[in-house]
This record gives sequence, structure tokens and C-alpha cells, in this order.
Amino acid sequence: MTVAPMPHSSPEASHYRTSARRRTSIVLRRLALYTGLTAGGLAMMIPFLWMVQTSLKTRSEVFASAPFSFPTGLHWENYTNMWNALPGVTFGTFFQNSLFIATMATIGQLITCSMAAYAFAVLKFRGKSILFALILATLIIPFQVVLVPNFILYRYLPWPYSDSGNWIGTNLPLWVWAFFGGAFGTFLIRQFFLTIPSDLADAARVDGANPWQIFVRIYVPLATPVLATLAIFQFMWSWNDLLDPLIYLRDLPSYTTTVGLAFFQGQYIGNWPAMMAGALVSLLPMIILFLLAQRYFVRGITISGLKG
Amino acid sequence: MSIFSLARTGSVLRRARGGASASALERTGRHRGPRDGEWRWALLFLAPTLIGLAVLSAGPIIATLGLSLTSWDMLEPPTFVGIDNYTNLLGDARFLTALRNTFFYTAVSVPLGLILALGLAMAVNQRIRGISWIRTMYFLPLVTSSTAIAIVWLWMYSPTGLFNNLGSVFGMSPQRWIANPTLALPSIIVMSTWQGLPANVIIFLAGLQGIPSEYYDAVSVDGAGRFARFRYVTLPLLTPSIFFTGILALIGAFQVFDQIYVMANPGKPGGATITLVYFIYETGFRNFHMGLASAASWILFLIVAVFTIIYFRTQNRWVHYQ
Repeated sequence: MTVAPMPHSSPEASHYRTSARRRTSIVLRRLALYTGLTAGGLAMMIPFLWMVQTSLKTRSEVFASAPFSFPTGLHWENYTNMWNALPGVTFGTFFQNSLFIATMATIGQLITCSMAAYAFAVLKFRGKSILFALILATLIIPFQVVLVPNFILYRYLPWPYSDSGNWIGTNLPLWVWAFFGGAFGTFLIRQFFLTIPSDLADAARVDGANPWQIFVRIYVPLATPVLATLAIFQFMWSWNDLLDPLIYLRDLPSYTTTVGLAFFQGQYIGNWPAMMAGALVSLLPMIILFLLAQRYFVRGITISGLKG
Repeated sequence: MSIFSLARTGSVLRRARGGASASALERTGRHRGPRDGEWRWALLFLAPTLIGLAVLSAGPIIATLGLSLTSWDMLEPPTFVGIDNYTNLLGDARFLTALRNTFFYTAVSVPLGLILALGLAMAVNQRIRGISWIRTMYFLPLVTSSTAIAIVWLWMYSPTGLFNNLGSVFGMSPQRWIANPTLALPSIIVMSTWQGLPANVIIFLAGLQGIPSEYYDAVSVDGAGRFARFRYVTLPLLTPSIFFTGILALIGAFQVFDQIYVMANPGKPGGATITLVYFIYETGFRNFHMGLASAASWILFLIVAVFTIIYFRTQNRWVHYQ
């Protein structure tokens, strides 16, 4: 095994003298490091492993057997049972609802936050800093504080296709807000816009481009990485949200994955294999997204501390 | 607005104070002159944001304060009751339980989460082959919904679940983790800490990687040992990250809801684990006492605001910016 460059955090190893004994001890330490880190990682993943193995067992097996015994057979029927467990709907319906809401919220945030970010980063107008401070200040408001007034607002907004005649019971309150800006996304994109050299915009302006054209043709294309970061996080927040869908959605066919799962759990108390199958299926899209785009998740958190 | 969980405040305020505003000033200077009056364009770009600000966030805060002074069941028109809602809440055993639980949850989960995350970040801060695969294992809880995770842990905590299984190996008698009022909240804290670790680890990891190795070299020359290097280099230089993670954890802890909803639901009328946000949800959207729910919301707001301000005030005493 070759000795890889030492981590800068352990500089005492950086000025060692290479001798056979020393090299052996380094290899052993490296081995211990890998073993320890992998063991820790597996420990961290215990809930996932536990979920997967339970989801493939029968109910009687779950109660009878030792914790990490292998299932007698792979009982995939838990998944089909879970998928079709609720009357009149499948989990597919919940997926569609979540997908729609998360996509719309993401589109809304991308458009309106990048517009506001452009105004704050590039345009000159009086009262800019006060307005920006005001928008940042809304970040320190727990959203639960505005839960009641927002509910009342949506109750007054008419909607001919719902039972209530207003927005309650529809998915509109879960994504329309996203088309009205947001402090966090605005802040994130503004930070990025500030790093774009103004020469580009100046040149375009000389050529007669107006601010909208400069925004669409220069700033938005350059901001792809930060837009991807915002998109991923907004999608995840919408997908994982429980409180808002719980308040606004009234009937089973309109439920999102989270509300559907919580409802399912209430109906099937004690049926752990089916419940673990449901939990796994609901987590799977985000886990796949994470494995594909881990870089963006890590970058997003590092830049700005966004969180689930 | 729900998505902008308050958790993001720390970075925003810090950044607004630091580099970002400085570069904004530079730009202002450079472009003074021909483009001074772009307010028409600004209005166009900001129109959605301004409407949202007025109708969805700033306006509703005032509205909540107003509603908190009324009694309203959404059927009859609201009636003005002064501060009755607030005095009623302070005599409401369920509200006081929620308040106590929220404080307990915050006081335990924040330090626990930070300490564990710091240790873990130092452990995975290695430049070895395959480290990103190893980190993926640690980061996976990051993207999970609290709803699904709470269901998984409910099963792990169940009388026949993983914890009792493991416990029996060590001769421990089986516990009813969630059904036992004393163990329920600590059990939920353990779960939330596990789920919250990755985000904190990622921030600490970025902080650790930002520490110039010359600092370590300097103290190593002075003969500093492992502990001294941690105490006099790592820890002080990591205080900005600790401060930042701390505010996120603090604010997130005050808002905990999903896992409480899932875990407190199955047959627990005593409400040993209810939190403030759960109380607001239950009061407003199950029992339709909108005035009372608004008052509870404002109390939550004040608590978060006071703690945030106090926390920021302590910044000068222990946070070292390089």
C-alpha cells in the first residue's frame, strides 16, 4: 500500500523519517482509520439497514427473530401491499402530488428569487439597502407565526373547483407562495450575482441591451450552479414538508407523500414491515437525488447553512 | 413561507455584516452616475417579492398580533378579548407542558448535536482515498423527511424493536421508550440528533478545511500535543462555524414538529412530548381556537427573537474571526 498524502490536520506525521518500522505503523494506522470510519458510517446507517431488512420480513418473523437476522425470504409483497393499502388511492397518487407541488414551488422560487436578487445585486435605486435588510429580517420569523393569518388569507381566496369554494383543501397554498419571492433564495442568488464582473453587463449595455435582457442573457446563464443548489433544496423542503400539507389538504387523493405516510402509519399500527416499506419508498427519491447531486447539497450547506 | 425555516438566519446576518455588504458598497461606488434612476426596472424585478412581503410574511405578523387579542372559532366573527389569550395560556397545563418540553428539547439537543458533529467532522476530515464514499454514509440522513424517519425510529423504539433487542444482549430489561413519559422526549432527541448531524458535520468540515495548516505547524514546532493543537488552534478557529451551527440548531429546535406529530400521535392523549409548534397546530387547526393559536405563535416568536438576540450578543466574547 502506498502512503497517500497525510491530512493537513495531522502535521506531526508530515516530517517523519521513512523507515520500515515507521512505514508499517503508518499502514496499520491507515487500516485502523478505514475500519473505524467505515464502522462509524455503518452505525450511522443502522436505521436505514433496519428499515430495509424489516421491510422484507413477514409480520410474524419481525416479532420472533433476532434483530439483524436475515429474512427467510424476500417478502416483496410488503411493498405491493403497502402501495395499495389505502382505499381508492395508491402511493403513486401521493408521489404525483408531491412531485407536482415540489416542482411548482421550485420553479416559482427560481424565477422570482433570481429576479429580486438581480435587483439587489445589480440595479441602482433608492432605498435598496433598507428593503434588502427588511427582506433579510423576515428570515428570523418562525413561519409558524404566520400560519394562522395565511390560513385565513387562503380561506378568502376563491377557487371554484374545490369543495370549500376557496383554496383550503387544494394544493394551491403549498406552492403559489413560491411565486412571490423568498428571502433565502434571494439572498443566496444575490451573493452569487455580486461575484459576476460588471464588465459583461457594461458591454451589453453599450450594445443597447436593457436590464431585463442583461438579466436573462448574462446573469441567469452564469448562475446555473447556484440555481441548481436552490432548486435541489427547495425541492427537498417541499418534498419533506409535513405541517403545511397537513393543514391544507383535506382528502386522501390530494395527500402528499409525507401526509399519506403519516396517515398510513395511523391506519396500520403494528404492521411494521408494511410501514418500513412505505417509509423506504417515500425516502427513495431524495436519497437517489442525494447520491446523484451530493456535491450541490454539500456546497449549499457550506455556503449558507441551508438545512432540511 | 414555511420553507424558509428560520434556521437560515445566522448565515444571513453574518454575511450581511461581512464580505457581502462590503463588495456591494464597492459596486455602488463604481457605478454611480448614469444608472442612478433604475427604480422602474427595480420595481419590475421586485414586484413578486414586494407582494409576497406584504401579503405572506410582514403583513401576517401584524395580523397574528391582532388575532392574538381576539377569540375566534372561524364560524362567528372574532371578538376582542384583550390579553385574555395570553393569561389563559399561562394557566393552561397543556401549553406549559409544551413550553417546558420545547425548552428541554432545545437545551439538550443543541449542545449534544454540536459536540457530536464536531467530533464526527474531525473524524471524517481525512484526505484518504474513498473518503467521499465514507462521508456519504454519514451524510445520508441529511435528505430524509422527519416523517419517514420518525416512523422508522418508532419501530426501533417499539417494545420488540431494535433498542430492546440490543439491550437484552447486555441484560437490560425492555423499555417502553416512547410510551414512557420520562423516556419519550429523550428518545425523540436522540433520533433528531442523529438526523441533524450531517448538516452540522458539513459546516464544521468546511470550517476545519479552512484552517491554514501553518497554524498547526507553528504550534507543533512549539511541541504542542494533540490536545493542545485542538484546544489552541482548532477550537478557536472553528468558533465562527460553531456560532453559525449553534444558531441554526437553536432556531430549528424551537420549531420541532414533524417527529412530534408522528411519535406523539399513536394513542398518547397525555401529550408527554408535545412541543410549542405542535400546540399551535393542535389549537389552531384541530380545535380552531385561532386567537389562542395566534397568541401561542407570538409567544414562540418572542422566545426565538429573545434567544437569537442574546445569542448574537454573546458573539464578541467567544467567536474569533480570522
